[in-house]
Amino acid sequence: MNTTKDFIVEQLKEQIADFKVRAKSETVGRVIKVGDGIARIEGISEVMMSEMLEFKTEGGSVYGLALNLEEDRVGAIILGDYFGIKEGDEVRCLKKILEVPVGDSLVGRVVNPLGEPLDGQGETRPDKFYPVEKIAPGVITRESVKEPVQTGIKVIDAIIPIGRGQRELIIGDRQIGKSALAIDTIINQKGQNMKCVYVAIGQKESKVAGLVAKLEQCGAMEYTIVVLAGASDPASLLYIAPYAGCAMAEYFLDKGEDVLIVYDDLSKHAVSYREISLLLRRPPGREAYPGDIFYLHSRLLERACKLNKDFGGGSITALPIIETQAGDMSAYIPTNVISITDGQIYLMPELFYQGSRPAVDAGLSVSRVGSSAQIKAMKKVAGKMKLEAAQFRELAAFVQFGSDLDKDTKAKLERGKRLSEIFKQGQYSPVPAANQVLIFYALINGLADDVPVEKISDFETGLFKYAAASGAKILKQIAEKKDFDEKLEREMKGLIGDYKNNLDYLIK
Amino acid sequence: MKITPKQFALSLYEAVEGKPAVQVKAVVKKFVELLAKKNMLAKADKITGQFVKIWDEKHGIVEALATSANGLDKVSVKFLEHYIAELSGAKEVVITEKIDKNILGGVIIKYGDKVLDGSLKTSLDELKEKMIK
Repeated sequence: MNTTKDFIVEQLKEQIADFKVRAKSETVGRVIKVGDGIARIEGISEVMMSEMLEFKTEGGSVYGLALNLEEDRVGAIILGDYFGIKEGDEVRCLKKILEVPVGDSLVGRVVNPLGEPLDGQGETRPDKFYPVEKIAPGVITRESVKEPVQTGIKVIDAIIPIGRGQRELIIGDRQIGKSALAIDTIINQKGQNMKCVYVAIGQKESKVAGLVAKLEQCGAMEYTIVVLAGASDPASLLYIAPYAGCAMAEYFLDKGEDVLIVYDDLSKHAVSYREISLLLRRPPGREAYPGDIFYLHSRLLERACKLNKDFGGGSITALPIIETQAGDMSAYIPTNVISITDGQIYLMPELFYQGSRPAVDAGLSVSRVGSSAQIKAMKKVAGKMKLEAAQFRELAAFVQFGSDLDKDTKAKLERGKRLSEIFKQGQYSPVPAANQVLIFYALINGLADDVPVEKISDFETGLFKYAAASGAKILKQIAEKKDFDEKLEREMKGLIGDYKNNLDYLIK
Repeated sequence: MKITPKQFALSLYEAVEGKPAVQVKAVVKKFVELLAKKNMLAKADKITGQFVKIWDEKHGIVEALATSANGLDKVSVKFLEHYIAELSGAKEVVITEKIDKNILGGVIIKYGDKVLDGSLKTSLDELKEKMIK
């Protein structure tokens, strides 16, 4: 006991001896105007662009971010509560660019864009601080996308495959399942060696609470960080949220891990940036967005990447979400983000109300990375399917003349109907890749042609159950090899045949 | 275009620079007439403030505020004047003193938008933070 006391006293003495008293030089300024989350400051002549500022108010310190450096004044956004700031308050430069805490301790937490916990589970213990704005990795460090992200959504994995390091836009009107696609993808990353970051920008907090509960229930919070800038937060927090989320993702990238990041949604992010820009008196352009709105999103999405082996081999896959107004894809922000990303998943209201959910429009959706991001087994079955889906769309207009068509066209129509039936999928029910291969194999080889269209979903669930019970070995082999040879193909055919022998609703 | 107080102050400075007192009087009279004509008399305070700033800048005068707990003696003031002149490159330093018991000891110097904090209170606060860590 005595030794500990002595030790502490010794340490104390040492620390005090080490502590040097010196006057430090600082630049300070004064608030000349404040309002709407914006402050104009005079003085602070040595301030840097996007440097953190500290406002000394009566109720303690409030932090801000310098955005406009003018001849004799500085425009800053206030991160947090600006009601305590008065004209004449002192402002200090903190001599550091805005940083957020990053690290493993953030996984499983809900934090605000400054990394402060919002879930009431106590403090986070960050390993490091990362700057919010960072230059994206250069050409030398990158390599082309080649590994798949298994979304667990049949239509996406088959027709619009997403690769690790890709940026795939999810676009559509409100309330047709954009967030649901992203959440299903996060849920399906369990055991896929992937960290996830979900950035909610301007979302209703009730929605985010429900979503976090769902993720927890599915065990997805074990590898997920939720960054929340809610609808009631000031525009400044909404503006930095995606960059902060990306900084948190970059920590894992630097460790060589794969990360999936969802920005939900970037149209609200653009609106909050427009608010800030107009308040800072930057000149408005088209739709009143400022001139650098393209750079706002391009510098964010460019940070998604696939690094090569020499640089750790990690990746950041970005799934930005854009909400369109009444299906208008040619508005300013949607066209910008479409041109930045490597493809888009377009959700169509008509399909949604017809009941084919997820309402992915196979014609307008593309993935520019394409089949290099698919496992071999999937490539074998999905290659033919793209063609069939396209042919079905072309012929769909003739459906009403069903009786007057030749045999070949009729067969194609029947196949197409079954295909779009298989693409239907419930929310929160991702399908493993091996199961997808099995059902698609059944379809393209005509093994499902004698199943009535309205019974397809029963057929599918039954097949998965049967395969889990008596064909587990086949599924396991597909999952491990990521390919199938002729022997495995025969086994698959046999499995489906055996299953069909038990069915009573087949068309004779 | 609207003329700002700063522009008025700058032109006044240019008009009076290097002129004897008699001429300055005439220039100032004309300047006030101009202000009245431009409806800027209400801004006279701001213009005066800007004029002092410009004058100080051109002549290398730095105004500094020294806050101490118990007042400064003459030797310290002289020392501080030299110190600030060295730091800021000014020709002349005008020190205003202020007494604030809250800072406990040492001195805080403020000139332009720079602050040199050498107070005992800040040092103690820093020590406290370091101990907590």
